[in-house]
Amino acid sequence: MLADYGYIGLLLIVAILFTVSMPLLALSLSFLGIIPRKSNPDKTSTYECGMETIGKTWVQFNFRYYLYAIIFVALDVLTVFLYPWAVNLKELGLLGLISVAVFFAILVVGYIYAWRKGALEWK
Amino acid sequence: MIVSELHLMTPELSLLGFALVVILLDLFIKQKKVLAGVSIAGLIVSAGFTLAMWGAPTIDIFYAMLAVDRFALFFKFLLLAAAGLIILASQDYVSKFERFQGEYYALVLISAVGMMLLTAAADLISIYVALELSGISLYVLASFLKDQKSTEAGLKYLLLGAVASAVLLYGMALVFGLTGKTCLLCIADVVETMPIAGLLDNPALLLGIILLAAGFGFKIACVPFQMWVPDVYEGAPTPITAYLSVASKAAGFAVIVRVFFVALGAPSWLSIDWGILFAILSAITMTLGNVVAIVQTNIKRMLGYSSIAQAGYLMVGLATVGVAVGADALGRSGLLFFLMSYAVTNLGAFIAVIAISNKIDSDLIGDYTGMGKRAPLLAVALTLCLVSLIGLPPTAGLIAKIYIFNAAVHHGLLWLVIVAVINSCISAYYYLRVVKVMWLGAPVSEEKVPSSWALRASLSLCCLGVLLLGVIPGSFVGMAEAAVRIFGS
Amino acid sequence: MTYHIPWIVFLLPLFSFIIISFILRPFLNYRPKLGGYVTIGAIGAACALSFWLLVEVLSAPGHKLEIPDIQWLLIGDLSIHIGLMVDALTAVMLIVVTIVSLTVQIYSQGYMHGDPGYHRYYAFMSLFTACMLGLVMADNLVFLYLFWEGVGLCSYLLIGFWFHRPAAADAAKKAFIVTRLGDFGFLAAILFLFYKTGTFDIGELHGLAIAGTLTGTTLTWVAIGIFAGAVGKSAQFPLHVWLPDAMEGPTPVSALIHAATMVAAGVFLVARFFPLFENSEMALTSVAVIGGFTAIFAATMGLVMTDIKRVLAYSTISQLGYMMLGLGAGGIAIGIFHLFNHAFFKALLFLGAGSVNHSTGTFDMREMGGLRKAMPWTYATFLIASLSIAGIWPLSGFWSKDEILVSSFANNPILFYLAMITVFMTAFYMFRAVFLTFGGEYRGGASSEHGSHGAHQLHESPKVMVIPLVVLAALSIFSGWLNVTGRFDEFLGHGEVHSFTQGFFGILTHPLPWISLILAGSGILLAYAMYSAKWLSAEAIGKAFSPFYALFSRKYWFDELYERVIVGRVLVDGLFAGCGFFDSRGVDGAVNGVADGTAAAGRALRQAQSGQLQVYAMAIAVGIVAIMVCFYLFG
Repeated sequence: MLADYGYIGLLLIVAILFTVSMPLLALSLSFLGIIPRKSNPDKTSTYECGMETIGKTWVQFNFRYYLYAIIFVALDVLTVFLYPWAVNLKELGLLGLISVAVFFAILVVGYIYAWRKGALEWK
Repeated sequence: MIVSELHLMTPELSLLGFALVVILLDLFIKQKKVLAGVSIAGLIVSAGFTLAMWGAPTIDIFYAMLAVDRFALFFKFLLLAAAGLIILASQDYVSKFERFQGEYYALVLISAVGMMLLTAAADLISIYVALELSGISLYVLASFLKDQKSTEAGLKYLLLGAVASAVLLYGMALVFGLTGKTCLLCIADVVETMPIAGLLDNPALLLGIILLAAGFGFKIACVPFQMWVPDVYEGAPTPITAYLSVASKAAGFAVIVRVFFVALGAPSWLSIDWGILFAILSAITMTLGNVVAIVQTNIKRMLGYSSIAQAGYLMVGLATVGVAVGADALGRSGLLFFLMSYAVTNLGAFIAVIAISNKIDSDLIGDYTGMGKRAPLLAVALTLCLVSLIGLPPTAGLIAKIYIFNAAVHHGLLWLVIVAVINSCISAYYYLRVVKVMWLGAPVSEEKVPSSWALRASLSLCCLGVLLLGVIPGSFVGMAEAAVRIFGS
Repeated sequence: MTYHIPWIVFLLPLFSFIIISFILRPFLNYRPKLGGYVTIGAIGAACALSFWLLVEVLSAPGHKLEIPDIQWLLIGDLSIHIGLMVDALTAVMLIVVTIVSLTVQIYSQGYMHGDPGYHRYYAFMSLFTACMLGLVMADNLVFLYLFWEGVGLCSYLLIGFWFHRPAAADAAKKAFIVTRLGDFGFLAAILFLFYKTGTFDIGELHGLAIAGTLTGTTLTWVAIGIFAGAVGKSAQFPLHVWLPDAMEGPTPVSALIHAATMVAAGVFLVARFFPLFENSEMALTSVAVIGGFTAIFAATMGLVMTDIKRVLAYSTISQLGYMMLGLGAGGIAIGIFHLFNHAFFKALLFLGAGSVNHSTGTFDMREMGGLRKAMPWTYATFLIASLSIAGIWPLSGFWSKDEILVSSFANNPILFYLAMITVFMTAFYMFRAVFLTFGGEYRGGASSEHGSHGAHQLHESPKVMVIPLVVLAALSIFSGWLNVTGRFDEFLGHGEVHSFTQGFFGILTHPLPWISLILAGSGILLAYAMYSAKWLSAEAIGKAFSPFYALFSRKYWFDELYERVIVGRVLVDGLFAGCGFFDSRGVDGAVNGVADGTAAAGRALRQAQSGQLQVYAMAIAVGIVAIMVCFYLFG
């Protein structure tokens, strides 16, 4: 029993040592001058992949994107289920067809709902 | 074979079908009253299926994901009745949010489906899914008014609900990790063979149990997981508050009873420990609920705290574990009977509050003054329900308390019963204050407070239930006893 | 099947109450007639079933139906039974209650017509009938006491039916409080009995009393306690003050509750526990003495009242005294036989008074007169009832009254003489009422008690009111004949025959009935002389006996004694002030301390409810950790 706790304690000590020693290591290396200290704009810029951002990043997206996104996710999930069913169409037989039809019908209700409520219109 | 098992899910499936029909109908018709009718029809159909299955033998379906037994059917029936009363009682209230009536009814039905699944769920995974299904519908419903308080209520409920879900999941993970199983009966088998003689020797299991209790405790609003209750109850539309306080709580108790008594009930070293946990939480919960309820001036908040206190009484039933003197499953059947009584009583109280507050446009207890003259019918009904919440004859509340306290005494929890009785006395103070204000206060205006027939119907049904359970409890006791027979004794 | 009938009889009016208050009043309030129909239907059916039960009881061995108890509640090993008992006494009471209730409900359709509280009225009436039926059928003290309080509650609600009138509200309160004094004794007796015997079952208690297990002082105290309850309910001296005021209620209510049934419940109670009284000489004597005294005491006040309902109210108190005297001096059969007859003719008198009010709009006899021509049916039926209550052969009152006289003659001569004087007074005040109301010329009138009449013409009441009067009039004539052969006594009594001289005409061979008939006749004659023929001036006689007149008309200053002296001086100034001092300083201090402490705790705990979401989430986390820690600390 105590041994189990011992392992946990050991791991804890290792974890603390690691987190404390790593920054210390970096600082001491820099202090010793092993790391060169030459600054340039590329180095100080925020690291990002892709293109440089133009203008402020704090822009509001049109909320209709979210509606589309949600509807898209729903469709996507449908597809996730449709693929494996399509592959095994024969083995699953009539039962599979009915199951998918029910599943599909529920989603269609959702689509009709979104459509009637005007979620698909971009005004 | 799964398809043949589908017919055992007809109550849930039919209700889901009706929910979809409501959504579709809402898109094409102008007369929204029809939607309420369709919803009620759906609940009645579902209740019919539930009733038809009452005599059937106990069976586990979908690879032991769901249990079809009288315990689940009992709760399903209770939930359907609660949902039906809520929809009836919402008839006056829906005018406040004219735009989304269809969604309102559909969400009530879908959350009912979620709770019904929750009461039947026999596997940690299905429990979690059902919990979320009911929970998410309720989060939306809580913020349905879209004013500041309602939005705040919905958001708080959502975030704290998420925290509670996370806690619950963590607990489930620990239990699963230790037993390697998710189905409740399988967990029971593993736990029974564990070679240890105390929870303290197995901290992981202890933590798992505490986290499970915390996650479900959120649902039933026991201390210290009750903080959301007053804010959410006050902000949410009042019918939804009533729904939360009755249906959601009932479903929470159903799942706690099932998880703890089925999966973790067998070895006594285990059940004694969580029995004590629930006993202590019960005492704290009822005391806190009652004491804080005294100083409330808003009737919805007062009923919120009162529902916390009632949860405390209900938890007495959870604490009755281990070998008892006399009949063994008394605590659980007492819990079920108490839930029945609490459901009709609390719904009745809330419906009366809906009727009155909607017309006088205030939730303050002080504004209820002289209601005995302005709305005698509503005042009589509210008085009856408050009397039942105190536990005085000839109402359901008295029998329920006698029942559950009697069980606790049999299990040697005399101290808890004493605490509960003292609490009942405290509670009389704030319940009777409302009665006093209504009957002895001078009315602020002579104007009568009218109410629709749907509201009066639901209120009449509740009062009838309160009186029936109080006067002829025999057959209801029989139902509760039949429902808990699945646990063996 | 027979087992279920008593339950059905009890449940029918209860369901009527439930239907009216949960369905008709909330949803169909615009169709008030329905409430009346439901009530009448339910009580009519109950009445028919009561007759069936009576037949069953007549043929049952020992005149007692064996009805198995119903298990009301079984939780684990906690088992509570409830049951009904139907014996001869119950069967008779069932008949009385259902017949009178049925006629009163039919009558009320006319009387309460157009009242805004029509549904409420019928709901309470149904509830009252259910409670009253439960009361007479209860087989245990808990049930009995429950319904005992139930009828009291209904009486309170119905006296104060027109609660917007202060007099009605006050009268309701007075009735409630005064009867409560008696109920206190009853409750104490019940608890004492349970403490001593460990049972609430009435049959078992009878057995204990008969077997002699329950004797001596215990029995006497218990009997006195039960009798205290009866004194309150039946408005016997000294708790009689509430009944005259109770006349503020609608008149059909007075007929049903305050004349025929509820007030007779006290008499029923003594009869129900008669085996206990029988074994205590002192208790039985108290019953007879209180009854005999109340009979004459109330009659004197009835002599001078000007309000017709109050005359009838004092007459009721007086007649209830008679019944008590009959119980104390003779036995169950004699007291209950008078109760049986009295129920019909007194209900008839009240309904007649209501009918008069319906036409004239007043209860003040000084403003009536000459109604004989305008209201022939009311007059005829009222006259029959008056002859019956005066005890004129061969109407029903004669048969039961003379039995009481004979048994008191054998038992206690003083009470017998008092009762004889009461016979004279009864005849006098009843015919005073008859002559003032129906004789002479019409003297005006005033606004009706239910305000539906403004300027009005004298008219006979509608058929729906007259038919119940005729039915009751028939019963007032014939109901006494049941005991002509002593059958009623045989049925109710312990087998011995009380009827002293048998036969329809045979009774007239005995001198005593002649004396009472002469007394009654002279009472009628005196009333005729004073109020109809005016041979004697009522004013002059009033002046001549002015001290008595004042004494009677001020009701012996009992109201003043109770209100000013006892309640005012002794209680408010003395006892309550003393208690109040102790209460405010001692008890209140402690209670307030606790209450303030609780409220302060509440306020403090409310602070934790800051509304901050983070705090709430934190509470969950802290709670979990705290539980864990506690497990390790205390587990």
